[in-house]
Amino acid sequence: MMSPMRYELSLNEKRLLAALAELPNEQHDPVDLGNKLSSPPESVIQYANLLSSKGLCTIERIVSISVVRTEEGELYARYGLPERQLYNSFDTSIEMNQLNRHPLARIGIGWMRRLGWITIQDGVITKTDAPPSDLEQGLLRLHEHLNLSEHFKRRLIKRGLIQEIETISYKIHISPDGQNLAAQGLDLREELGTLTSEQIISGSWKELPLRKYDVTKPPKRIFPGKIHPYQQLIDEMRHILLSMGFTELHGDVIQSAFWNFDALFQPQDHPAREMQDTFHLAGSRSPPDGWEQVRDIHEHGGQTSSTGWGGHWDPEVSKGLVLRTHTTCLSVQTLAKNRVPPQKAFCIGRVYRREAIDPTHTPEFEQLEGIVMDEGLTFGHLMGYLREFYTRMGFESVRFRPAYFPYTEPSVEPEVYVEGLGWVELGGAGVFREEVTAPWGVSCPVLAWGLGVSRVAMLRMNLRDLRELYQSDIDWVKSYPLISTGGL
Amino acid sequence: MPIISLSNTYLERLCGTDKKAILSVLPKIGSDIERIEDNHIDTEFFPNRPDLYSTEGVARAIRGYLGTETGEEIYTITDSGITFSLDENIRTIRPYFGTAVIRDINFDNDAILSLMGLQEALHWVLGRGRKKVSIGVHNFDSVTPPFFYHAVSPDTSFVPLDMDEEITMREILEIHPKGRDYAHIVSHLEKFPIITDAHDQVLSFPPIINGELTKVTEETKNLLLDVTGTDQRAVILALNILCTSLISAGGRCEGVRVDDVFMPDLSPSVRSVSVAECNALLGLSLTPKDMVVALEKMRFGAEHNPECEERVLVRVPCYRADIMHDWDIFEDVGIGYGLDTIPASLPHVATIGVEHPIMRALSRVRMACAGLGYIEVMPFTLTNTRILFDAMQRPHHPGTLSILHPIREEQSVFRTDILPSLLDLFRINKRRELPQRLFSTGDVVLHEVTLQKVALASTHPGADFSEMYAVIASLCHELGIAYTVQEGSDPAFIPGRAADIVHTDTGTVIGQFGEIHPDVLRAFDIDQPVAAVELTLSGVLYPLEEAL
Repeated sequence: MMSPMRYELSLNEKRLLAALAELPNEQHDPVDLGNKLSSPPESVIQYANLLSSKGLCTIERIVSISVVRTEEGELYARYGLPERQLYNSFDTSIEMNQLNRHPLARIGIGWMRRLGWITIQDGVITKTDAPPSDLEQGLLRLHEHLNLSEHFKRRLIKRGLIQEIETISYKIHISPDGQNLAAQGLDLREELGTLTSEQIISGSWKELPLRKYDVTKPPKRIFPGKIHPYQQLIDEMRHILLSMGFTELHGDVIQSAFWNFDALFQPQDHPAREMQDTFHLAGSRSPPDGWEQVRDIHEHGGQTSSTGWGGHWDPEVSKGLVLRTHTTCLSVQTLAKNRVPPQKAFCIGRVYRREAIDPTHTPEFEQLEGIVMDEGLTFGHLMGYLREFYTRMGFESVRFRPAYFPYTEPSVEPEVYVEGLGWVELGGAGVFREEVTAPWGVSCPVLAWGLGVSRVAMLRMNLRDLRELYQSDIDWVKSYPLISTGGL
Repeated sequence: MPIISLSNTYLERLCGTDKKAILSVLPKIGSDIERIEDNHIDTEFFPNRPDLYSTEGVARAIRGYLGTETGEEIYTITDSGITFSLDENIRTIRPYFGTAVIRDINFDNDAILSLMGLQEALHWVLGRGRKKVSIGVHNFDSVTPPFFYHAVSPDTSFVPLDMDEEITMREILEIHPKGRDYAHIVSHLEKFPIITDAHDQVLSFPPIINGELTKVTEETKNLLLDVTGTDQRAVILALNILCTSLISAGGRCEGVRVDDVFMPDLSPSVRSVSVAECNALLGLSLTPKDMVVALEKMRFGAEHNPECEERVLVRVPCYRADIMHDWDIFEDVGIGYGLDTIPASLPHVATIGVEHPIMRALSRVRMACAGLGYIEVMPFTLTNTRILFDAMQRPHHPGTLSILHPIREEQSVFRTDILPSLLDLFRINKRRELPQRLFSTGDVVLHEVTLQKVALASTHPGADFSEMYAVIASLCHELGIAYTVQEGSDPAFIPGRAADIVHTDTGTVIGQFGEIHPDVLRAFDIDQPVAAVELTLSGVLYPLEEAL
C-alpha cells in the first residue's frame, strides 16, 4: 500500500493533479488546463514537470513546424509580386530608362525576363505574355496548400517570402500513481508561507497547511560583516603574546635615523641606511638626551669591552627622518624609558622598506617584535620563547640557524618546517648587544625577536601574492572562513 | 647579500669530504643555500663574514666544523724585498693602501673563479661598490719593482684591461664598461689614482680598472695584490681575506714594504674572555676546555689560561671582521657547540600583559564596524596626491608627508585620509556583487604626527545620506562619542548631502559623511552611488599623546 506521505506536493501541484484526475483518460493541453486553474500555460508546464518527476503524470512534447508568410511575403500576397506589379505598370512596351525609375524595377525586371514575360531590344521592353507563375500561386494560396513540395518551399524561403516556425505543444496525461493519489483525496486548501502573529496567538495555525520546504535546496548565500582575515591573524598573535605576559607597544611611523639606526648600533655607512633601501623624509629631529653615549659606543665602544665601529659618528646624520624600517626602534625606546627589570613588550606594526611591489615584496608590511629584559636571561631562554610562540602559532618543528643583525649577538634565524615547502625562514632573533643596551643604563640581558607577519599569513592562508592582503578582492575576504585563520 | 657560487669538486677537494656532508654543515655555520646544482652550490652568507665569500674560506670553516682540521691557521710570511711608495698627493684622494705578493699559485679554473667571486663580493660588501675598498690582482712577473702609488693627470694614458690600445684615463671613464660603471667615484677629482712600476708601466687605475699588462691567466704563477680605499680597517681586512684565501688555495705569501710599513700582517688579535660570562649568555655550563674545543672548531686559536681558572685566551684570526666584543666570541662558542643543542627553556619572568590603549580602541572600532555589516580592508598607507586630493576634489593638505625618493609616483606620500583608499578598492572590485560595504582603520600622518582614523563606505543603487547617518549614529553610540552634526562643505561630497561631525567634548570637527560627489565617483571609475564617512579617532577615543 502506497503512503500518501511519500509525495511532498505543493498546492499548485495538487490542484493540477486534481484537474487531470477529473478526466483521467484524456491528453490535456496546458492552455486548457491553464484556463481551468487560472494559471498561465508556462506555469502549468512547470507544475506538470514537478508531478512528472514524481511519476504522477506524463508529458508528451510535440514539435510541429508550420509555414507562414514573412512581412515581405504578406505585402506581395496583397499587392502582387514585384514582377507582376511592374508588368501591370505599363502598356505593351516601355523604354528601359523609363521603367528603371519604378521603385520595384531592380527586382522586377530580372524576374520578368527570367519568367519570359518580356523581351528587351535596343533599350525597349516589350510584353509577351504573363501567365500566373507558380510562385505567385503558391504565395497567394499558402493557407490552402499546406503541403507545399519541399523544393517549392525552399524557393519561397530563399526569396524571403515565407518562413518556417517551430511550435512546441504539450500533452499532459495522468499516470496510474497519480490516479491512485488523487483517489485518496487531495487537500486543496491555500498553503501558508509565513505565520502571522494573529495565527500564532489564536492557535489557528494548527488548522492551517504550512508549506513544506525542500530542505535540500541550497539557500541564497549571505555574508557577515567581517574583520579582515589578516587582521584576525594579527589579533591571534597579539592574544598569544598578551597571554604570555607581554605588554603591547605602539608608536610613530616617522622615526629619526637615531632611533631607527644609530641606537641599534647600525654603522652610519651601513647600506640599509642608504636611499635605495629606506624611505627618507624631509625634516629632522634632535637626538634625545644621552645621545653622546651612543656616539661613544659607535666610535670606540664607550664603557663596554667593544671596539665600536671606529671612525667618526656624525650627530647630523642621526637627525634625519625615515619611515620606520622595523619596529625594533620602538623596542629600544621602550628600554631607554624602562630600565628596571623585568620588562616584556611586543609590537605588531607596519614597517616600510624601499622595495618595488611584486608577488612576494611590498614596500610596507607588518612586523612582529618581542623583547624580554630580566636578570639572568640567556640565549637558551630566547629559544624557549621562540619555540613556545611558534608552537602556539601552529608550527611544531622549529630549528635555529646562525644569523647576523647589527644589534644582536648571538643572532639566529628561526626556521619552521612546513609540509611541502621544507624549512622556511620566519624571522630573526638574538640578544641585544651591549652596544645597544649600555647607553641607556640597561645592565641585564634583553632577548629580542622579530617576525615577518605577512610571511606567516602567506603560509597560513595559502597565498601566492602578498598584494592580496592589501588590495583585496572583496569576494576573497567575504568567503574566507573565520576558522581558517583561527589556529588549528 | 651577495650569492657565492661554490664549485662542488673544488669544495670537496678542499674539505676532504663529500657533498652530502658539506650540505649538512652549511646551514649550521650560517649559510642560506639558494640553489643546489650538479656542479655547484649557490649560497649566501651574512655580511659580517666576508671571509666566507670564497670557496677556500668556506672550506676552512667546514673543515673546522667537521673536526678534520681545527684551531687557527698559521701563516708564515717571508720578505719579498719589494717596496712600494705612496706619493703625498694620494693622501687626500684615496689614502689607504695594502699589498702583498703571492707566489707559486696553482691557478686552475676553479681557483680563478673563486678569486673573481671573492673580489666581486668584497667590492660590494666591504667596498660599498668599490668606493671604500677596491682590489687589483696582477701578474707579478710582467712588472718590475719598486712600485709607486700616486695621483696623475686624467690625460695620462695606458692600455686598460680587455682593450688593445692606449687611451687616456679620462677616456676610460667614457668608453670602458668598467670606467662607465664606476666613473662617479673619481670623476670629480682633479687627479686620478694610479699604480706604476719602475719603468712607469701602469698596473692599475684604482678603483676603476687594471692595465692589460698585468692580466691574470691560468698560466699565471705569481701574483701582486693591491688594495686601495678610503677606510683603513676595511682595506686591511680585504687584504687579509684575500691573502689567507690564496694561501688556502696553495699560494705562498710574501710581504712588501710600503714606505716603512711591512705588510700584510696576518697575525691574530688576542682577547681574554670569561667562561662564566659566556655560560651566562648562552645558558650553558661549559668548562673552559669545552669552550676551547668549540672555539677551535670555529677556527679560533684558544687556550685555557692556566693562571686564571675562569678565563680563556682567544686568538682571533686576521680575517674575522666581526669580533668587536666578547659576546661576538660567545656567539661562535654557541655555533661551535651547536645552536640546536643549546637547551631551550622558558624563564620565570613574572609580568602582566597589557594591551596598548590605541590597539584596544581600534579593536573595538573593528568590532563595531563588522557588526554593522561592513567588511574590513587593509590598504597600503603609501599613496599619491592624485588619489588623496585631486580625485577627491579636495585641496592639497599642507601637512602631507612626502617620501623624498619614492620608487613610483603611485606611492609617494603617506595617506592623510583612509576614505580615498576605500574608493580605490571599489574600483578594483567593480565587477563584484553589490552591495559592497567596506571599512578600514589605521594610521594616517598629518604634520609629521601619526594619527588613527576610521573610514566606512557603502556602494549600491540605493546608497544614500540617510544610510550613512544611521551608521554614524550607531558607531558613535557604540564607541561612546558624543557628537552633533552640521551641514558640511567637503567638496568630495554632493552639496546638500554632506555633513560634518562635531565632537561635543572639544567642539572640533572630527569627521565628514554624506554621498560622494558624482565627479569623484567618475574619477575613481565607480558607476554606482557611494555613501561614506571618515572619522578621526586620535584625541576622541583616547588622548593624542597616547602614542609612544
